[in-house]
Amino acid sequence: MSERTYDVVVIGAGNGGLAAAATTAQKGMKTLLIEQHTLPGGYASSFVRGRFEFEPSLHELCDVGKEGEWGACGTFFKDLGLDIEWVPVPEAYRMVITDKDEKLDVKMPFGLNEYIDKMEEYVPGSRESVTNFFDLCQEVLDAIGYLGASKGNPDKKVLTSKYSNFLKTASYSVDQVEKALKIPKKARDILNAYWCYLGTDTEKLGFTIYGAMMIKFLLLGAYIPKMRSHEISLAFEKAIRDFGGDVIYGTKVEKILVENGSVVGVTTDKGEKINTKHVICNAPRHVAFGNMVEGADEIKEKANREFNSRKVGGKGYVAYFGLNKTAKELGLTDYSYFIYPTVDNKKLYNSMFERGNNPMQAIVCLNNAIPDCSPPGTSMLTVTTLYKDGAWDDVNETNYVQVKNKIAKDIVRNIESALNVKISDAIEEYSVASPQTFARYACAYDGSIYGYESETWDSLLPRLLMMKDDLYINGLRFVGGFAFRCHGYSSGYMSGNTIGLLTYKDSLEEK
Amino acid sequence: MSKKLNVKIKAIGLLDLLAFKKLVPNRKKKFEEAPATEIRKTPPMNELAAKLHPKHQKFTITDVVELTSSMKQFELSSDTAAYFRAGQYVSVKLDINGHKVTRPYSIMSSPKAALSGKYMLGVKKADDGFVTEYIFDNWKEGTVIETSGPEGNFYYEDIRDAKTIIGIAGGCGITPFFSMAQAIRDGIEDFNLCLLYGCKTLNDIALRKELDVIAQTDSRVKVVYVLSDEKKEGYEHGFITADVIKKYAGDEPYSIFMCGPQVMYDFISKEIAKLGLEKKYVRRELYGQINNVEKYEGFPKDKVGKKYKLTIHMGQNTTITEALSTESILVAVERAKIKAPSLCRTGECGCCRSRLIAGDVFIVEDTDGRRMADKKFGYVHICSSFPLSDLEIEIPVE
Repeated sequence: MSERTYDVVVIGAGNGGLAAAATTAQKGMKTLLIEQHTLPGGYASSFVRGRFEFEPSLHELCDVGKEGEWGACGTFFKDLGLDIEWVPVPEAYRMVITDKDEKLDVKMPFGLNEYIDKMEEYVPGSRESVTNFFDLCQEVLDAIGYLGASKGNPDKKVLTSKYSNFLKTASYSVDQVEKALKIPKKARDILNAYWCYLGTDTEKLGFTIYGAMMIKFLLLGAYIPKMRSHEISLAFEKAIRDFGGDVIYGTKVEKILVENGSVVGVTTDKGEKINTKHVICNAPRHVAFGNMVEGADEIKEKANREFNSRKVGGKGYVAYFGLNKTAKELGLTDYSYFIYPTVDNKKLYNSMFERGNNPMQAIVCLNNAIPDCSPPGTSMLTVTTLYKDGAWDDVNETNYVQVKNKIAKDIVRNIESALNVKISDAIEEYSVASPQTFARYACAYDGSIYGYESETWDSLLPRLLMMKDDLYINGLRFVGGFAFRCHGYSSGYMSGNTIGLLTYKDSLEEK
Repeated sequence: MSKKLNVKIKAIGLLDLLAFKKLVPNRKKKFEEAPATEIRKTPPMNELAAKLHPKHQKFTITDVVELTSSMKQFELSSDTAAYFRAGQYVSVKLDINGHKVTRPYSIMSSPKAALSGKYMLGVKKADDGFVTEYIFDNWKEGTVIETSGPEGNFYYEDIRDAKTIIGIAGGCGITPFFSMAQAIRDGIEDFNLCLLYGCKTLNDIALRKELDVIAQTDSRVKVVYVLSDEKKEGYEHGFITADVIKKYAGDEPYSIFMCGPQVMYDFISKEIAKLGLEKKYVRRELYGQINNVEKYEGFPKDKVGKKYKLTIHMGQNTTITEALSTESILVAVERAKIKAPSLCRTGECGCCRSRLIAGDVFIVEDTDGRRMADKKFGYVHICSSFPLSDLEIEIPVE
């Protein structure tokens, strides 16, 4: 068995792994990134069908910003010198509710004032409470920044004096906070449209994470890369190599070797042992603890309990359509649509446990941000929905195609009726990423495209406060959707950045 | 922004700070109180994914049938064979005198047979094909072979295609259509398949009896034989032209699917252009490895016959070899006895995607299936890239 030694080994080249490896390599640590697939990025990739190149997963990237007002991700990318062409997303979202009695069709802009104004237009009298809501979101964002800067040891006086509203609301759900602020029901329905990006209904979803996301979207807008998210992944890969890091594909880490509670190395399916004191793992905690860690049996029970206390987020289903007419010809006027059968997101959440014929949909028409993303005279439409445990358990090898195609047909029918458009006769290319597809290419645990659900008790804040407690093995830290930053593109990248820096700090302390 | 807020949650101001303080103990408690039952290592979605998409499959050849003088049918058997969609292929992995090569072959049997661990492959002996020659000489009952999982996108999709498929088959290109016809018969697929099957002479028709039986028993399947080198009553004579397609297509909307040799694609494409169909109604199976790149537009004349130094990095190994300008990098890598990942060999699937560290390559535009960002960051599909200078590449480990 050949042996090599690295300062840090990063397992998995998903968003978190790429970001972590770029960070440690930039800091001068001898870094090795190992990915079992032959492509980087996990879901941040692209694929070609006929004359179309589809974006597999990214709807809009939060926290990028632009020259003069970079967000956290934007600053991080710039600091690494990533070569990515960013394109702004034109509007926050259009939400269409199809229920007969609840019917709603609103289009919300980016920009805090613009958003509040628009809300007032749709819901007269909402201005004050919605303004208060965003005021609070801003405080949350500042407080999280402060907590991050204090590295988990905040000054209580500063917290109580400067961030008292944050403290008061931090342990509540989105619904509880919105109700306390007396936001009118209709305004709440509109405010909560983004809930599906986090995959937990607003009765259970922690307020801090939602509030922080909302305000970032509205203040900085959202961006997408010109060449699909594959461009981000390759820009990261190039940065890692340029900083002297190594990247190997088609290789699977089988074991994380632990001695006396500390990481000593990893082994791969190619029969190689790599010595290292630091492993940054992009695989979920429970996968690492359950299948990979060797030499730390004492943590198994704890790890099992931790996993069993949590819920794994929604399984992904994405239908991709290459259309032989332009978005304009088809009447697809907007970039981002949420088509929900009802405003009641708890009902929507519960509907994910079965395969109904009217699933909620998050839709992107890429051409409305990047007009030339497909050949002249064509357009692309990507539709995402989510499923929970049980919804796909009856699916087997012989009904698999039927199941995924039935959902696609339901989706097309629902889009046609909700938006009053006709797309069914324009489908030139069609593909589906099912939970199995995500499992196949990115090893998604049970097809989930999210991490553990960020319910109030296990949301961003409690995870941040317990980063030290969650460190079960010295030198083994986690990034990505299952890690402390919760899921989502920007969280994935920033988790990698933070953990990369913490690992670097650990390595300095050893010296 | 505006004034300082005073958010009232449940109107119990101080207790809310307690709630904040309780976040950590609450989460600890949640963890501690949960059961310690083992975590399922392979949950249901991953289990099915592995069944549908195995990376490798091992088969024993259990039957060999001569379909025509130049085409053989091989029955592959195993305990499990991945279910597939009629029209898909497997990439066969061969070791010929130390050269690890692959070839894609459509699965010609019904998906139903896969449920009992069986695939059929049809192989036509090519004139200059050292691989088909190897297969003809070496594949016998009892031979163990390795393939990929089912691959490719050459199958019917009702959400996209017309209900009637005009299948244009040339030579060995009958195999995916034979699978589709059986899938229709077996109730797995539901569309009308009108097969225009082009052969040189009557003797070159493979699977004739089997096709006729399906056509007689299932009204959705129709077969028309088109003979180019022989005039016979009851058969179309000549090539498959726009007129032949129109004659059999009828009045209903149809999609054209074609599978055959490159010369057929080149001819038929011109004929199909006359039909004025929307692009979405015309689909072609893999174009196939390009063996005469020097004839394609844009290939620099002065590079014909040139040999270049090719430096290959794979894992921790580096190999230096020679590469011919008119052979794909993949072929050069295989000549050097290196096992490179590959499936379609047409530039489409991206399995052989490799990092081009230094040098220039030529890629036929039609077979450039790369992603935009791959072009930007210097990645190539080595099966469809031809050396125009000394090259240094990094190939992913398989």
